[in-house]
Amino acid sequence: VSGRDDLIRDSPEELFENAPCGYLTTALDGTILQVNRTLQLLTGHERDALVGRRFQELLTVGGRIYYETHYAPLLQMQGWVREIAVDLVGADGAKRPALVNSVLQRDEDGRPLSIRTVVFEATDRRRYEQELLRARDREHAVAAELQRGLLSGRLPLDPALDLAVSYRPAEGLEVGGDWYDAFWLGERRIGVVVGDVVGRGIVAAATMGQLRSAVRALASTGLTPGPLLDALDGYAHRHEVGQMTTLAYAELDLDRGVLVLACAGHPPPAVTAPGEPAHFLWDGRSTPLDAAAGASARPESTVTLTPGATVILFTDGLFERVDRPLQEGLDLVLAELTAHDGKTAQELANAMTDAALAERRTTDDVCLLALRWTPPGT
Amino acid sequence: MDVLLRHNVTVAGRSDGPPIVFVHGFGCDQNMWRFVWPAFADEYRVILFDHVGHGHSDHSAFDPARYGTLDGYAEDVLDVLRELDVHDAVFVGHSVSAMIGALAATVEPERFSRLVMIGPSPRYIDDDGYTGGFSREDIDGLLESLASNYLGWSGAMAPVIMGNEDRPELGEELTELFCATDPEIAAHFARVTFLSDNRADLERVPVRTLVLQCSADVIAPVGVGAYVDEQLPDSTLVQLEATGHCPNLSAPAETTAAIQDFLAEP
Repeated sequence: VSGRDDLIRDSPEELFENAPCGYLTTALDGTILQVNRTLQLLTGHERDALVGRRFQELLTVGGRIYYETHYAPLLQMQGWVREIAVDLVGADGAKRPALVNSVLQRDEDGRPLSIRTVVFEATDRRRYEQELLRARDREHAVAAELQRGLLSGRLPLDPALDLAVSYRPAEGLEVGGDWYDAFWLGERRIGVVVGDVVGRGIVAAATMGQLRSAVRALASTGLTPGPLLDALDGYAHRHEVGQMTTLAYAELDLDRGVLVLACAGHPPPAVTAPGEPAHFLWDGRSTPLDAAAGASARPESTVTLTPGATVILFTDGLFERVDRPLQEGLDLVLAELTAHDGKTAQELANAMTDAALAERRTTDDVCLLALRWTPPGT
Repeated sequence: MDVLLRHNVTVAGRSDGPPIVFVHGFGCDQNMWRFVWPAFADEYRVILFDHVGHGHSDHSAFDPARYGTLDGYAEDVLDVLRELDVHDAVFVGHSVSAMIGALAATVEPERFSRLVMIGPSPRYIDDDGYTGGFSREDIDGLLESLASNYLGWSGAMAPVIMGNEDRPELGEELTELFCATDPEIAAHFARVTFLSDNRADLERVPVRTLVLQCSADVIAPVGVGAYVDEQLPDSTLVQLEATGHCPNLSAPAETTAAIQDFLAEP
């Protein structure tokens, strides 16, 4: 060992007192027994003002609750806690963000004896975290606003039609990509669509907006559902937008009750009529948007509704749940649709989404569009 | 959904013994009882469970509306007791679950023989002539603390904790995760707990109750314990030497002895 190394080597006392972090020993109830100099500098309290107080008294009141409900129990159960963010209240009353680690010291028989705690200043880190949290909240707000704006249009009104939507956005930080739309196609015809864009957040909301406009524009050219989906494929492919989106698109003739339908990789719409059990409309199905390069023309199917019949278009959030087979979920959709047939379209839509979400968290968007054909004289 | 799975119910001890249920409070899960329940296993049928959103319960069953008040949690207690066909149980509730037990006992008294409330508070926020110990701002501070302490609940770990993803390489990290809770659920439970006001429910508690009061408990101060004891129709208050809010962890022997003395009453 050279003389220079001797000069550099700290005494244990020096290592403790001037460590680059606050360092303290407390009794099991948090009563401070020993503190180093760095902690005195950090808190602005002299040693005498610290020893004998409880460590948790140095925290904000919110931090104290956290200490009692999380920190202390964790320490007692697992013998350590790490990286806990707290605010120390200094002698001047100012809050100092810090990260805290503790270990439980035990005696020879393994009984808890004392707690050793180190305190790191975390002012910059906390500021950065808060900026990240704010940015995340802002993005969420923007996406949610965008989604709301896109979905808030007025639905077509007609004596031969009872049309309603129930839309439950997923809880949590990111908005999902479910959308619906309903619009006039001509004097006595309407178009309805329910779709689901891949992904979440702002990008999904923007994609949804593009596809919604594209469907409206294509529908206005007179394309029927099958060819419309073909044209939408081309749009998705050319502009690289909304690939793998699923959607169901249908046109209804309000005079004759003729429903023409095409479904791109989307859950099948279901229909029920007074006194008849509900069933799915399995015809007119093809792959999701731009999923099959060079595929043949997309099919469409035609059904003639009986007066008073109800059709629902919906997204997978209505029936998909991790804790049960898909078929069970689909069966429930039919059972619910049959059960609520006597209600108005809005009551039915609400009741069915309520049933789907009963005692669950909404982890995915749930979107359901219900229309009942009620021609005059029925 | 199976109630027993939903709540990760553990049944231990003497299968033909009288039932005793231990229910954890805000902040952790049934692990809170690990130093206490074994002392009852020889004589009692011991029942432990996790509130939905905590421990190994079914997190996806968390419904903000159902759990918008403590009554939803009380209904869960009854669900578990009904499922196990339990009557005349001793209910031991820590912290907010002391009040949850009181609410459950009021709804179906026949399922409860006695109540043990550890560190109860029917109202945490100060009110006209009542000192709960906190202000509304303090609770906002707690919510901030929760928001900056994920306790391992990162985007990478959450699906593993919830059992939605199998990632053996995270196994070691996983075993270290006591009290890992979805931060949104934790914040929701914190709000419901600390903004609740169940003072009026105390006088309706239909069974004899033990109030265990800690020393120097910032969450349930001595004055609040005295208030609870005063409002309950039939109760005893025992002052513990244990400090803090979790005597079940910090002073399990003293806690156990106090409960056993109470249950030994004729």
